[in-house]
Amino acid sequence: MFLNMSGYSLSIAVVCSSNMNRSMEAHAFLSKKGFKVKSFGTGDKVKLPGTAVDKPNVYDFSCSYEEIYQDLQNKDKSFYTQNGLLHMLDRNRRIKTRPERFQSSSEKFDIVITCEERVYDQVIEYFENRSPEDSASVHIINFDIQDNHEEATIGAFHICEFMSLLDDLNNSSVLFDVATCEDLDNDMDSLIHSYEEKVHRTLLHCVLFY
Amino acid sequence: MDNQYGNDDLRRSAAAQFFLDEKGPEGYKLREIVNSINEAVMISDINEKLEKLQKIQALILSGPDLLERFLPDILGFQSDRNAEVRRFVVGFIEESFKRNSEILPHIIGNIQALVQDTAPRVQKRVVQCVTQLYRHTLMWLSKAQSVNEQMQTVWTILVNIKAFIINMVDSDNDGLRTQIVKFLEMIVLLQTYREPDSTNRTNDFSLEDVPLTLKVARRRKLEEEAMTVFDLMLKFHGSPHISSANLMACMGSLTTIAKLRPNFMGKVVAALETLHMNLPPTLSTSQVNSVRKHLKVNLLNLLKHPSASEYQMNITTLLTDLGATTHEVMKAYPKLEEGRKRLKKTIASAPAKKVRLEEDISMNESAVDITETFITERLSPELAANLVIMAMNHLPESMPSVFNATYTPIAAAGTQAQIKHVARLLATQLTAAGLGPGATIAKTQKPVLRTVDDEEEEENGVGNSNVPDENVGPEEDNTNTNSKTLLASRTFKQEMYKPMSTDMREFLQVGAVQRILSSEESAITGGVSRVRSKILASFAASFGQKVKQTILNFIMGDIRNQINLALAWIYEEYSYMQGFTKRPPSQMDEGKFNDLQYDSLVTQIMNGIIRNKELKERDVILTRICLEMPLLTDEVINLIKNFSTTETLGLSIIYKLVLMRPMKQLYFLNVLLDNTSHQASEIREASIGHVVDLYPKEDLQTVIEEYAIYYLGFLKLAKPPETLFGLHKGRPHLSEVWTDDSIKACLYLYLSLLPINQELIHELSRVYIQTQADVKRTILRVVEYSVKAMGMDSPQLLKLVEECPKGSETLVTRIIHILTDKSAPSAELVDRVRELYRTRVSDVRFLIPVLNGLKKGEIIEALPKLIKLNPVVVKEVFNRLLGTQADSTGHSSPITPAELLTALHLIDPTKCELKTIIKATSLCFSDKEAYTQEVLAVVLQHLMEVTPLPTLLMRTVIQALSLHPRLIGFVMNILQRLISKQVWKQKKVWEGFIKCCQRTQPASFQVLLQLPPQQLIDVFKEAPDLRKPLLSHIMEFTENQRAHIPQNIMDIIKGQEERANMDFHIKEEPLSPASELTIDIKEEPPDTFSEPAPPGLE
Repeated sequence: MFLNMSGYSLSIAVVCSSNMNRSMEAHAFLSKKGFKVKSFGTGDKVKLPGTAVDKPNVYDFSCSYEEIYQDLQNKDKSFYTQNGLLHMLDRNRRIKTRPERFQSSSEKFDIVITCEERVYDQVIEYFENRSPEDSASVHIINFDIQDNHEEATIGAFHICEFMSLLDDLNNSSVLFDVATCEDLDNDMDSLIHSYEEKVHRTLLHCVLFY
Repeated sequence: MDNQYGNDDLRRSAAAQFFLDEKGPEGYKLREIVNSINEAVMISDINEKLEKLQKIQALILSGPDLLERFLPDILGFQSDRNAEVRRFVVGFIEESFKRNSEILPHIIGNIQALVQDTAPRVQKRVVQCVTQLYRHTLMWLSKAQSVNEQMQTVWTILVNIKAFIINMVDSDNDGLRTQIVKFLEMIVLLQTYREPDSTNRTNDFSLEDVPLTLKVARRRKLEEEAMTVFDLMLKFHGSPHISSANLMACMGSLTTIAKLRPNFMGKVVAALETLHMNLPPTLSTSQVNSVRKHLKVNLLNLLKHPSASEYQMNITTLLTDLGATTHEVMKAYPKLEEGRKRLKKTIASAPAKKVRLEEDISMNESAVDITETFITERLSPELAANLVIMAMNHLPESMPSVFNATYTPIAAAGTQAQIKHVARLLATQLTAAGLGPGATIAKTQKPVLRTVDDEEEEENGVGNSNVPDENVGPEEDNTNTNSKTLLASRTFKQEMYKPMSTDMREFLQVGAVQRILSSEESAITGGVSRVRSKILASFAASFGQKVKQTILNFIMGDIRNQINLALAWIYEEYSYMQGFTKRPPSQMDEGKFNDLQYDSLVTQIMNGIIRNKELKERDVILTRICLEMPLLTDEVINLIKNFSTTETLGLSIIYKLVLMRPMKQLYFLNVLLDNTSHQASEIREASIGHVVDLYPKEDLQTVIEEYAIYYLGFLKLAKPPETLFGLHKGRPHLSEVWTDDSIKACLYLYLSLLPINQELIHELSRVYIQTQADVKRTILRVVEYSVKAMGMDSPQLLKLVEECPKGSETLVTRIIHILTDKSAPSAELVDRVRELYRTRVSDVRFLIPVLNGLKKGEIIEALPKLIKLNPVVVKEVFNRLLGTQADSTGHSSPITPAELLTALHLIDPTKCELKTIIKATSLCFSDKEAYTQEVLAVVLQHLMEVTPLPTLLMRTVIQALSLHPRLIGFVMNILQRLISKQVWKQKKVWEGFIKCCQRTQPASFQVLLQLPPQQLIDVFKEAPDLRKPLLSHIMEFTENQRAHIPQNIMDIIKGQEERANMDFHIKEEPLSPASELTIDIKEEPPDTFSEPAPPGLE
């Protein structure tokens, strides 16, 4: 269980465009590790590749994974089995009922992880436009992950590694100030920095307020 | 906590009792809450506890009256040990006052307590809570019919909390600062007026909503405060060391303020412009990316706002620089029509009461604008080129990653728009630095809008007005607008942050020092190695123990190459010690240890070198340190002194110190002198060598001599003095008797000086007289080298020989011996010795060394005495005389071997026993090289002519014959001549003659036949065995031959002896019997000298 010593568990949101592949992969990965995680999409609709490039499958966020699964199975079972979509949906429906739109959620998180820059922008835009509530701060961190199965798996791994780093940081005494070693906000900069050093990729990061 | 709701257990349980009495569903709920609270107090697991508390909160907030009843119970948790529980309490309070403003008086005290919590997490939560609370309270006050005392109290406390929070903007917790930025934003929004252009926000509350009648919070005061806070935010936003999270939060807040309060738009845009060009140098590459991204997002947001229309140009240029596409920018443009409409409206409807505020804002704007115009007029291509060339010097060696990441090529270089843009960029920089015409105007008109609070804040946090001067330098170039960012990164300014913990500070200090230490090569390449070394020395001397240790370790790790640094440091400490340099105030209390610091540094370094025996060039390094250090303190001197008793290196250092440190010269000389009697030969010889080197120096000569004589004087004592012993002398144990070692210890230095100053020899003879036999013996032994070095011609030695104080004869003899050991004695020496021998000391042994220098007559005269000496001595005497020893030197003996042997034969028997002479001749015979056949023939020839014949003549003849049988003819000749000399008249010689004849038959028959008859009879009487062989010899003669033999002779041979000659008288010889002719040497009587003979004579 990802709990820091004061008994406070960070709430994490993983956000991609359709809440199908990347965010769900990370969701599965992180919840297995015991993190308190939720997943979302920022798009207007849930979009999945179709049999041709110009024929995508588009669903509303209100559709459940089960419904989409059935729909695709009916359309072309072998095709969607082969490209892994059914497998993915099968995994998703075991995790939660339906995809969720980030902008429709009223929940508050400590960390919002986005899976591509466009999603990051959308999240910032959303925060810009929502009316202020209790001014609780939230860290938005962007990992660039391409929207395919392999990259999603790698991306989920990276996200998990990053979160574990945070875990380490929380549990070990930090050099700079012993009193705040459980303080996410204070450590975020150094955490991101050390992560970037470690994996040689850059993250986008900002602090926003609810 | 002083509110009426106490939180002790007693009162809580009393309340619980009261609730427990109630009945019905309401009562059930109450009981559940009470139970839950009691349980929650007991739960130790923190997660469970929080879960429980969440449930309780839900329960309490569900009922209308429950809040007021249970508030104290919940507030009781604010002193929980766990920060998360305290956070929960804050959250609970937040929820509570949102629902019921009337509880504000009850919780405000708790908030005040919580805001000072030790855990930043809790503080952060409180700030978040107060952000709402403040707004809420102001609304509450504004809506109230009348403000009572309680409300006033709440407001006063809240103002205090506000001040406390604003002060915390310097906190070292990043998250807390972020949260405070949001708090500041709230204050600005709350305490300014809404405008027509303001973006609509639900539930927006502004100054307009505060009634003019509200006495506790006056609009004007609040607005002034808002302005101050906004300035503070700008300052914070522009501070060069702001963290990326803070910066982004601040950006966001400023954008929000600009949108909601468009009056601030100009300042905000200017701030973002400044930021773009002065990104904090502390940001990492990815942080720069994030910040630029965020800046872009915020600028696009601003651009959408209608009030931004007048800044569209600036914003668009900025966005282009940030890499925004035209499409993105165009999308963000508000509808042009709408913008214009709004603009007009703003101008038309600007309320009079805001005029002053606008003035202030436009002031800053116009400053940049004025300067911009000023620059635009002057920015000719020529000037631009000059600026670029001058800025070249300031470019960093390698391209910083930040630049690489952010650089976007300038598309429209050289166009009017671009020149204007560059001018704008320059103007922003200049204005920020307080330069340029705009800034000058702005300065003179600076509005006085500050409260006392604000000034304090300014002192606390040094704001963006301190943009470093370097930024003003001619750094502009047409292709690189980002160079400012790079240059800004060179400046370093301590600001915004609280003092660090001591550990942290030391850690950073040490880190910095280590970087400087490791930068040696680049410092050399850059030509600043002197500066580097000065910096390090200053650090080492004026910083704490850890820094010292770090530098010391570095130096000791490679002392060979770091010796200059070490010396620089030593000098630095020295100037502190002498007060040339003042210690920083922080170290004043250590002032009294200054001397010790110098001492301990020098000793540490020296000890380090001394211990490190493997070190290459250790001697050079140590010598340099010792010679170059500014002051030799007692401790250092002792260190060197002790070192010198163990290693010769120490001695050579001391030697140099004697030469180069006149102040301590005598002291170090004494150390050297002390070591001249050291037990270890290595140390001793080295120090003697140095003293001898120093001896020619006039000022030191007396000291050295006195010391040497002082030590020499010890020998007169009955037992060795304590001075000779001790660890530093290498003789740890005191000895009661003189040993060889201790005697020598007193002599070493003296003997080394002797060859240089020969007058000192007289001291030795004076001391010698008074010493014990053991000491004398040692002196005689060790004096050899020095005496040899002095040489035979030394006037002082000659003087000594001449004077020869009574009792020092052995010494003098020894000296003479040494002098003549390998070379012939000089005439002067011989004269002195002869004189001495003649007048005072009649011991012949004196003469031996100079024998070769004596005249032949003298030698012959002394011979009887000489041959009486111990056989070994006699042997040596003969060696000298026969030149055996002196062959190599080629000098010749005054007496030839033949003469010597002859002389021996001629010694008056009354002066010397025959036996002794025989021994002496035997020595001659044993020297076969000197006494060849020819020499012997000459000797015999000589002896033959002596009258009377020497007693030993025949013995010598026989010996010569036995050594050289070929002499037989010569011997026969002699025998015949002896007959003519009537040999029979000397009994001894006659006996020898007969013996000789016996041995030499048949050759001697011819001789025998020549003897007169009487003597022949005598022969046959002595040697009857001769007759028959002689007879048969004659019988072999021819008749003719036989006829030559007289008849009487023939008769004798045939046995008819004539009795007529029987009464022949033989002269009595006075000396020893014939049996003595055998060659044997008996023991001489023991030597009569009580004193030990010189070693060479033993």
